[in-house]
Amino acid sequence: MVRPLARRPLLAGALSLPWLAPAIGRAQGIEPAETPRRAERWRDLKEAIFDGRPTEPAGDALTLVAPTRALDAAAVPISLSLSADAAPRVRAIHLVIDENPSPVAAVFRAGPAGDLRALSARVRVDAYTWMHAVAEFGDGRLLETAQFVKAAGGCSAPVGTDLRAARERMGRMRMALPEGPPTGPERAVPVQIAVSHPNTSGLQIDQLSRLNIPAEFVRALRVLYRGAEVLRVECDISIAENPTFGFALAGEAGGELRVEAEDNRDRRFASAWTVGASG
Amino acid sequence: MAPSAGRRSALLGLGGALLAAAAPAEQPTQIAPGVFVLPGVHEDASPTNGNAIANVGFIVGGASVAVVDPGGSLAHGQRLRRAVEAATPLPIRHLVLTHAHPDHVMGAAAFADLRPEVIGHARLPEALAQRREGYLRMLEREMGPAAAGSDALPPTRLVEDRFDLDLGGGRALSIAAHGPAHTDADLSLFDSATSTLWLSDLLFVERIPSLDGSLSGWMRALAALRDCPAARAVPGHGPPAVPWPTAGMALAGYLEALREGTRAAIASGLGIAEAPARVATTEAARWRLAESYHGRNVSTAYRELEWE
Repeated sequence: MVRPLARRPLLAGALSLPWLAPAIGRAQGIEPAETPRRAERWRDLKEAIFDGRPTEPAGDALTLVAPTRALDAAAVPISLSLSADAAPRVRAIHLVIDENPSPVAAVFRAGPAGDLRALSARVRVDAYTWMHAVAEFGDGRLLETAQFVKAAGGCSAPVGTDLRAARERMGRMRMALPEGPPTGPERAVPVQIAVSHPNTSGLQIDQLSRLNIPAEFVRALRVLYRGAEVLRVECDISIAENPTFGFALAGEAGGELRVEAEDNRDRRFASAWTVGASG
Repeated sequence: MAPSAGRRSALLGLGGALLAAAAPAEQPTQIAPGVFVLPGVHEDASPTNGNAIANVGFIVGGASVAVVDPGGSLAHGQRLRRAVEAATPLPIRHLVLTHAHPDHVMGAAAFADLRPEVIGHARLPEALAQRREGYLRMLEREMGPAAAGSDALPPTRLVEDRFDLDLGGGRALSIAAHGPAHTDADLSLFDSATSTLWLSDLLFVERIPSLDGSLSGWMRALAALRDCPAARAVPGHGPPAVPWPTAGMALAGYLEALREGTRAAIASGLGIAEAPARVATTEAARWRLAESYHGRNVSTAYRELEWE
């Protein structure tokens, strides 16, 4: 029932893990008997993603929050935060959903004008799974943390409910400042951005309908404030329909916030907003 | 948790009369002349209930029979087929798939050898292509070996807007394709001979609705259907037949509360992670299985309404 891993796009084009295919073909329950397999899977994934570089437990430096039981496996809200001490030194955070067909859900990279202290995303969860976050420091150190997510029935709704509507407004973007515009370089405020996009995974030809749904997903997203890069996100089909991300923005109000996105078909989308001085 | 294999097969193999109260009905209810409904139970799929959780049934014409939703599993489809054969010698020539959800379509395999015309919404093939494999996996997980052999059948006639299905003897069913509502591929049927409106999952009674299409679209579809001159409706979940349009009011009220509450959450900056526990919880508490579906409905509504 489970498609071979190698058939699905992996985040990094060159990264291919065909030897993992038998592992995910096994039952995906939460029985204790599964524990060694899950541990082995994470070891294999780490080896492939980080070239065998060692990781250490993150402790308080990096926190991953996800619902222990997902209400909507097609859009599981997750958040990542760094301690004040770690934030200026972390270059990238890798989000990995171990049991997904394409495990590397996103890589967040800090731009010169931003940091990764508070991030959020909505992801698809295909089966009961460990979710891992790994923070990569400027000196190459890797800190990892994890949470187990139950998403029963997740694969029953892996795609959007009204794909046609999502396609029709493809590329439209939204931006929200729940706490208002930033008030200076020292005080960051949360920003949420979203790109309307079906973000479909693509399927093999279905034996029943003979239909082939092509893969269409956002693969990169870039945020700039006052012309300087704040954040880059590399992502793929584990990100939910209408990719939605949150991050923290510091700086003087009144500048232009620009979001650029690009999908696997080389379509490019961009929007810009002037972040008001006082609402 | 799962019963032993022996107990499971014994339960599935026995007649309804010997089963516990939660067991699905073995006999259909004739709700109007020639209109039969096999009622589902208000549960999620399990080895015990064989995923017979939705109302399915059939309509007998002068020359042929149309099955409306073949059931949630091979066993459920087989039970429905036996019910048809007990009710009439006429052949089953048509299967109507009211939408892609597994509790409605996965019993189709029980009718495959009859090579029926399989009628579905124009968007049904795409919906099945995207979901069928996941649904099969879900059935296997929830039902174990009892899921074996269950499957949908590919639609052979697609309905873009309307289609009149002639069952002979002057009985024609008017089939309507809806825009995204409960799902994005919903059909309803109207049997003018008995003034029966078969709404399937466009109408939920007692069991909490599940939103998998468009909240605003569902509200529009319900409002339009309210004017249909039907004496009764067949809900996808609930009693076999209910008075129309009064039985649709509770659903309309829930959807309205869901929309208003979710819009308010978005406007106030409440995130999608927090909204499910805060939106329309009072209205949700009036429905069966609310704890399993309401949070997901809020999440789905949120994702739709934030793009309004």
